[in-house]
Amino acid sequence: MNAAFPCRRRKQAVSRRDFLWELGGGLGGVALSAMLSEAHATTNPLAAKRPPLPAKARAVIQIFCPGGLSHVDSWDYKPELARRSGKPFDPDGKLQFFASKPGNCQGSYWPFRQHGQCGRWISDLFPQLATCVDDMAFIHSMQSKSALHGPAMFMANTGFILPGFPSMGAWVTYGLGSESENLPAFVVLPDQRGLPPGGVINWGAGFLPAVHQGTTLQTDAAKPPIADLFPPNSFAQLRGDTEQVSRDFLQTLNRTHAAERAGNTELEARIAAYELAARLQLSAPEVTDLRGETAVTKGLYQLDHEDIGPFGRQCLLARRLVERGVRFVQIYCGAENTTAKKIRPNWDSHEDLVRDHGYWGQVLDTGASALLRDLKSRGMLDSTLVICTSEFGRQPAAQGKGRDHNPGAFTAWMAGGGIQGGTAYGSTDDLGSKAAENPAYCYDLHATALHLLGIDHEKLSFYNNGINRRLTDVHGHIIQSILA
Amino acid sequence: MKTTLFILLAATPALAVDFDHDIRPLLQQHCVECHGEKKQKGELRLDARVFAFKGGHDGPAIVAGDTAKSLLFQRIHSTDDDKRMPPKGEPLSPAQIALIQSWIQAGAVWPENAADKAAAVDKRLQHWAVQPVRSAKGATIDSLINAKLEEKNLTMSTAADRRTLIRRLSFDLVGLPPTPERVEQFVKDADPRAYEKLVDELLRSPHYGERWARHWLDIAHYADTHGFERDQLRPNAWRYRDYVIDSLNADKPYDQFIREQIAGDVIAPNDAHAVIATGFLAAGPWDFVGQVETKSDMLKRAARAGDLDDMVTQVITSTTGITINCARCHDHKLDPVTQEEYYRLWAVFAGVKRGDREVDTVEAKRIAGEKARLTRGQAVVHARIAKLSGEGLDLAAMVGGGVKGRGIDLRTGNLTSDKLGYHRDIQTNRLQRIEWPADVEDSERQVAWVFVPDGRNPVPVAAKVETKGLPATNGHTWDVIRNGPLNAQRSTKIGGVDYAEKEHSILGLHANSGVTFDLAKIRQSSGLGAMHFTAAVGFGADAGAAASRADFTVYVDAEMKFQKLKMRKDESTNVDVIIPATAKTLTLVATDGGDGIGSDLLFLGDARLMPEAEHSRLAAAEREQLQALRAQAAEMEAALKALHEPAKVYAVVSDARPPVVQVQRRGNPEDPQQAVQPGTFAWAGHAGMDLGTNDTPEGQRRRLLAEWITNPANPLTRRVIVNRLWHHHFGQGIVATPSDFGLGGGRPSHPELLDLLAEELLSSGWSLKRMHKLIVMSAAYQQQSAASNEMASSIDAQNRLLWRQNPRRLDAESVHDAVLSVAGTLNPAMGGPGYRDFNFTEAYAPIYDYITPEKPELLRRSIYRFVVRTTPHQFMSTLDCPDPANLTPARAQTTTALQALTLSNNEFMLQQARSLVTRIENETDSRTTAVRRAFELCFQREPRAEEQNAATRLVAGQGLFALCRMLLNANEFVYID
Repeated sequence: MNAAFPCRRRKQAVSRRDFLWELGGGLGGVALSAMLSEAHATTNPLAAKRPPLPAKARAVIQIFCPGGLSHVDSWDYKPELARRSGKPFDPDGKLQFFASKPGNCQGSYWPFRQHGQCGRWISDLFPQLATCVDDMAFIHSMQSKSALHGPAMFMANTGFILPGFPSMGAWVTYGLGSESENLPAFVVLPDQRGLPPGGVINWGAGFLPAVHQGTTLQTDAAKPPIADLFPPNSFAQLRGDTEQVSRDFLQTLNRTHAAERAGNTELEARIAAYELAARLQLSAPEVTDLRGETAVTKGLYQLDHEDIGPFGRQCLLARRLVERGVRFVQIYCGAENTTAKKIRPNWDSHEDLVRDHGYWGQVLDTGASALLRDLKSRGMLDSTLVICTSEFGRQPAAQGKGRDHNPGAFTAWMAGGGIQGGTAYGSTDDLGSKAAENPAYCYDLHATALHLLGIDHEKLSFYNNGINRRLTDVHGHIIQSILA
Repeated sequence: MKTTLFILLAATPALAVDFDHDIRPLLQQHCVECHGEKKQKGELRLDARVFAFKGGHDGPAIVAGDTAKSLLFQRIHSTDDDKRMPPKGEPLSPAQIALIQSWIQAGAVWPENAADKAAAVDKRLQHWAVQPVRSAKGATIDSLINAKLEEKNLTMSTAADRRTLIRRLSFDLVGLPPTPERVEQFVKDADPRAYEKLVDELLRSPHYGERWARHWLDIAHYADTHGFERDQLRPNAWRYRDYVIDSLNADKPYDQFIREQIAGDVIAPNDAHAVIATGFLAAGPWDFVGQVETKSDMLKRAARAGDLDDMVTQVITSTTGITINCARCHDHKLDPVTQEEYYRLWAVFAGVKRGDREVDTVEAKRIAGEKARLTRGQAVVHARIAKLSGEGLDLAAMVGGGVKGRGIDLRTGNLTSDKLGYHRDIQTNRLQRIEWPADVEDSERQVAWVFVPDGRNPVPVAAKVETKGLPATNGHTWDVIRNGPLNAQRSTKIGGVDYAEKEHSILGLHANSGVTFDLAKIRQSSGLGAMHFTAAVGFGADAGAAASRADFTVYVDAEMKFQKLKMRKDESTNVDVIIPATAKTLTLVATDGGDGIGSDLLFLGDARLMPEAEHSRLAAAEREQLQALRAQAAEMEAALKALHEPAKVYAVVSDARPPVVQVQRRGNPEDPQQAVQPGTFAWAGHAGMDLGTNDTPEGQRRRLLAEWITNPANPLTRRVIVNRLWHHHFGQGIVATPSDFGLGGGRPSHPELLDLLAEELLSSGWSLKRMHKLIVMSAAYQQQSAASNEMASSIDAQNRLLWRQNPRRLDAESVHDAVLSVAGTLNPAMGGPGYRDFNFTEAYAPIYDYITPEKPELLRRSIYRFVVRTTPHQFMSTLDCPDPANLTPARAQTTTALQALTLSNNEFMLQQARSLVTRIENETDSRTTAVRRAFELCFQREPRAEEQNAATRLVAGQGLFALCRMLLNANEFVYID
């Protein structure tokens, strides 16, 4: 029995050992102790676990576009909206808007064309991703339960609009552990401008053990990749061999201490953690050192481009991390609404959509298409699930030169690991205002992603404050029609 | 088919049916699987008489003598495949259907037997936790634990040595390591009562409250910011944190402690402590955007629903250990708590909002009265000054180009009398020239420009010079800059003077906006030289309608002459600025106080320019009088400034008329169902569940709930708190789920012990310190933790029977505090605002950048840390400090490589290791004694010979720093035996 998949109904509150203890008298001492020692064997909560079901993907790279990516200007072709451009919108006046009443209908700012074998429509905002369309599957009927950035971000990441719940990456590492002994299982690559709305809670472990929270990898090449990986510059003398001498002293001390407390596995685990820390000091800088990448690869990601380069670097790092056994990588394409200068620091294009989506579109288009091509050429795309999403979409109606938030509809896409490229699921109404056919929530996306990883989303649970919590709460349907 | 069936049935003569022989087996075999104890599809049960006749969701199942009304019959002989029961498998045979038909027609006689009666009893009502607390006469903690051990042929381990005991006790009771000197003294103390003396000493220590407040604040999910996207500061939250520390130190009876936190403002409205206590209800997260900023009522309802859920969950779960939140969308799946009961608890809190409130209403009233008196006096004095020195020039009239009600559109510079709304798209920091209409003569065109400042970049308000010191804004504004009240302005009064009256003027200046007057033009037409600019500044919104803040700043040329930051809506201020004869511009700026522009309806009453020198036409006596008046005004201004702000706390703000609460179907605020009255859940069973009616005042409802919770007969409250104490003393509770005493939670390992403690709590007058003492004085507590006992390990690996004490790891706060304590840098100052070890940048989503604390004011115990929700403290959260979004009854404990990196490389740790070096060097005179001292300080023991040798070699090669750093990383440092 895997600790991550406890039986669902019986005694949710108690650990397996409690469970045995409560059965106590009924079990023979021998059988009991045999089962307990088996439990002790896996004290490392991040030890790789075999997926309970057949898996298509072994790793996930999720690209998150915070701020609200406009589906009607990008993935969701709405000719009727173009026809009605300039005509009144929302005749019944019942729509919920964050900041304003809607203006008139506004067709896409970029023309749509058909692409690939599948002939799907994509706007000219994404010319390079358009060439990958036969690898991509779209969910056009995504919805959110909040029109506010913070709660909607939490929902997209954790399934709940409140803070305090584990993110998908945390759930996945809780379910599957790590395949790398030298790197964290769940790595987050934030935009170099800063954290997204809601901050680090977006990749928090919630009530899961903290070991499952996302580790932020510094994407700025000038800084050490992980916080506290090395002593700060003010203690620059602490380097190299002398560190090894100190560490040896510590571990001898710890081993003597543990020997007097035989059977306390936590002490052993902490000794092991210091050894892993030493390995991380070697492996983490190796991951972020891009010197070994070819000029072709660097060119693919346009690493030298002032605006596009930083996101290209995030995408390339994601590939390198997955290559080295990292289970879940989350890339942020945009930051919080704090330091707006010429353009918005994320996709939240209220006042000038052409300016802001134009900028971010180019960034995402280059980085994400490079990632898909790179993964494919290395034969990694088949086992890596790539997900691209936002917290909500934008209104088909104008808000000046921009668009307001739209939790009623947006598009997410997936590619790679077990996904049937060139397909689509669900649709919006004629204007792209609301999900119409097969409405979907993050629950369905999460359920599908877990399924591809070999996990039944209804079985992956953790007891907290009276409930066996799931990533998908009490919802979630696997979207079969986009599976290979 | 239907016809034949009908004929068949009609043709069947009425049978003599015996229920127990013919019907009960039918029901058992075909119906009860889905309509019985385990499942109740359609809310129907057919396994017991009382349920069967009650019917289900669709209506009555059995109506004696009437098959047409008996759904049971209708459904078993329905021809509709979707309706016919049973849904799977073969339909009932015609003979079986006929039996049931006859039985109903004959009066549906169902003799109630023992099985009926047993099935009708809800077994959940027999759950251990809701049974009355039973006292075990003559038992002790140790006798009860030994009794359980004996059942398994086990015994307790021997007592730990004194060094282990003092270290364990110190971390448990005060959260800090003992000094080597105190260890030495205790180890050598010949007094048989040495241990008890130590216990008393630690319980008397003020550090006790600091330690145990941490545990309580984990449950209160306390933090010093709101959380969510716009994670703003709660600068007054700390008073609640201090209340918890002080109450624990004073050993306030636990029932009083709880009552005050739920309804202190009602029970003792004049007791500042009791008012502060209600910070408990407000301690959790709060969504500013959803509650205030959004214009969508639906989003507001959703945010408020989250708010009430948080309050109800906090109060009920922390005190009674019932997972009430599980009944939000449906009846509780495990416990007999209905959805309606959950919403009745909402009704208790429906009138409670979170916000800053005065802690001492009497003092606050006195200050407010004094303020009003001075402000009124000032208005009188100013009026007399104006009368004597002439009216001066009215700035409001200049803004309107001489026309009342007209104002300047910030987007275009046009003058307009239209009421405009919210502007979020104006380019900030741009000087907008005024497009004067023809009716304003050139000499009267005395406003130079208007602008919307962003506060981050300077505005070039004068040639080659720029504003400095404006607070950051969101760059939005409202309406126009107006000669008269603003759009939606509610109040036109400042300090009792109504500036809308004829002899006065109003200059409406909503945040964020600025206006610059052209002084050269003004001098040209008025002939004035040096001037005074005077005005009263106030809010045009309802006082107290919201906790909004705004700032007001005055520049003469580029020099800031006046600034009032974060002015509250019930505040006002007077401006008197001297303008030299050479100055070119006067600029007035209203900004949003960092919390958005909602309700920031600033206005200036009688904004005037007066000649600085008095008119020569004044007689000497008048001039003297004027001087005296000016002196008087200055005095009043000084007195106003000297009035200190009344102390505040972030706690509950009461709404006198709370809205009626309705059950929300599936927890959806947009799907309200039946209305409910204030109340609580019936399961506890000790007292009525009504807590007044919807006419009961808000505060009274909370008071009734507080009394219901702390009623000595409540079977949950006392058990829950003693179990929490036990949990922290043993690393696991008698009930392993300290916040879930329901059917889904753990069962008590020692039920009699739990009740013994609950009884002791009552007989000690709810004294927590007495409970601590009782627990730590037990032999069970004093056992060794490292004892190895193979038999015990195989029978009870998790040590639920307590055959030894549990080894425990220090939590994040204890590691932090212990490091400072050992390094000799711990600043022991107690109480007051939290220390902020971050740089704060005001912004739409404020930015918190953590710094390495070095200054003594930042090196305090971690209970005084200013806790930010959205930006957790990396050092602390790496060490498993939980997210205060949720109640944390028990800390999770992980062991990770990141922890190893943090403890070995984080700058805080390295600096403290260096401080430890300095301390040791000051206290010792040789390498040998330095090594010994390092071990004594960190581990409370001397090094063994081989440790001494290895450490001496390390110090010789790498210096004392390497040793200190590694000792702070050692397992022995972070584990308590």
